[in-house]
Amino acid sequence: MITVKDLHKHFGEIKALNGIDQEIKKGEKVVIIGPSGCGKSTFLRCLNLLEVPTSGEIWFEGNLITDEKCDINKLRQKMGMVFQQFNLFPHKTILQNITLAPTVLGLMTPEEAKEKALGLLKRIGLPDKADSYPAQLSGGQKQRIAIVRALAMNPDVMLFDEPTSALDPEMVGEVLEVMKELAEEGMTMVVVTHEMGFAREVATRCLFMDGGRVLEEAPPAEFFSHPKNPRLQDFLSKVL
Amino acid sequence: MFDDLPGQIHKAIIEADRWKLYLDGLGTTILIAVGAVLIGLLLGSLVGIAKVHTASVRKRRWYHKILNAICNIYLTVIRGTPMVTQLLIMVNIVFAAAKVEHSIYVAMLSFGINSGAYVAEIIRAGINAVDRGQMEAGRSLGLPGGKTMRLIILPQAVKNILPALGNEFIVLVKETAVVGYVAVQDLTKAANWIQTKTFQPVVPLLLSALIYLVLVMLMTWGLKKLERRLGKSDYR
Repeated sequence: MITVKDLHKHFGEIKALNGIDQEIKKGEKVVIIGPSGCGKSTFLRCLNLLEVPTSGEIWFEGNLITDEKCDINKLRQKMGMVFQQFNLFPHKTILQNITLAPTVLGLMTPEEAKEKALGLLKRIGLPDKADSYPAQLSGGQKQRIAIVRALAMNPDVMLFDEPTSALDPEMVGEVLEVMKELAEEGMTMVVVTHEMGFAREVATRCLFMDGGRVLEEAPPAEFFSHPKNPRLQDFLSKVL
Repeated sequence: MFDDLPGQIHKAIIEADRWKLYLDGLGTTILIAVGAVLIGLLLGSLVGIAKVHTASVRKRRWYHKILNAICNIYLTVIRGTPMVTQLLIMVNIVFAAAKVEHSIYVAMLSFGINSGAYVAEIIRAGINAVDRGQMEAGRSLGLPGGKTMRLIILPQAVKNILPALGNEFIVLVKETAVVGYVAVQDLTKAANWIQTKTFQPVVPLLLSALIYLVLVMLMTWGLKKLERRLGKSDYR
């Protein structure tokens, strides 16, 4: 579904990504971990071109998205993204947050979009928040709404950029719960996170990144119990 | 100077129907201010958005650079020279051929061009103050940049812009008091003229000051109401 070939990203002198090759298949749940500044968020943001790679190729569903002629807006409709800081639209109600993109882009009629949004809100247990504004919600509620907002576009893949890092500890669970459900339904997911429990439970494959490279990748059982790379062994000894 | 105040008031306001002069002057002041606000808003929005756009495009092409350079020259020249000087240049050089009775429109344009430079910077700063994540969230949903700007960034930017913009318009209203320099009969000029007739400065000058004050207080009140309405999604 997503193929990455020799991806490099430089910010001036800083080399955030140093040649990444990855193949993400439909239905996979890839969890990326690593120390801060290792390039994991940059890698994720390159996948939907929020960061433009310095060199390399990214293919999504047969389209070369790093090509200048590619209609990235069209492809982004199929790649949902959830941010660390939620990024809900503060001037719109929850319902409007969810229905805005599908209706403005002409993918659904306002009635269809509303029905879809209310259905999704019910699923995450927040149907009564439809007419609230983001400022009236807790962090955990905001992040669940942000996930729903991305889902309303019927994406083929969901990208999560440290979705629980800005939350109070007691709210982390509710967001991870929604993500777990999503995973069980077969959604393709790429998740940058520090939640090792989530990685162990949900991931089909874990990547360890440092210095802009993928240093180790393995299914979670092997990844956590028999890490081979000394850098990963050191990292895991500190966080587990 | 303050002897026989009732007599002074009579002379400065009632006698020879002088109250009409204040009223006409006030009308001129308001006309120039409203015209200038509209021109300033239009020009400022164009320049402000052009500046934001040229700063944010991924690939800067030659026309972006030219547009940016034009905007910068405009901002530098207008903000770097006194308003009165700009007004004199417009009336005596640029529109030297215009009829005297059209001076009021030249003044309007002149104040508008001046105000536009400040409005542009206010708008640019207001747009830039909206969190970067908002643009990213819009784009990540597949919305094109222009639509994200219009539906998501600008409505939020308005809230940042409005207080500063109101302030700029209040400054503008008061600044129009210099149009007397080019023989336009605004409120200040009227008060000044009456003083030269009665040889008593107290009533005309204080009265004109009072009228400006009331005008500005009305504007402040209106802006506060508008801000409160726009801030409704901030309530918890």
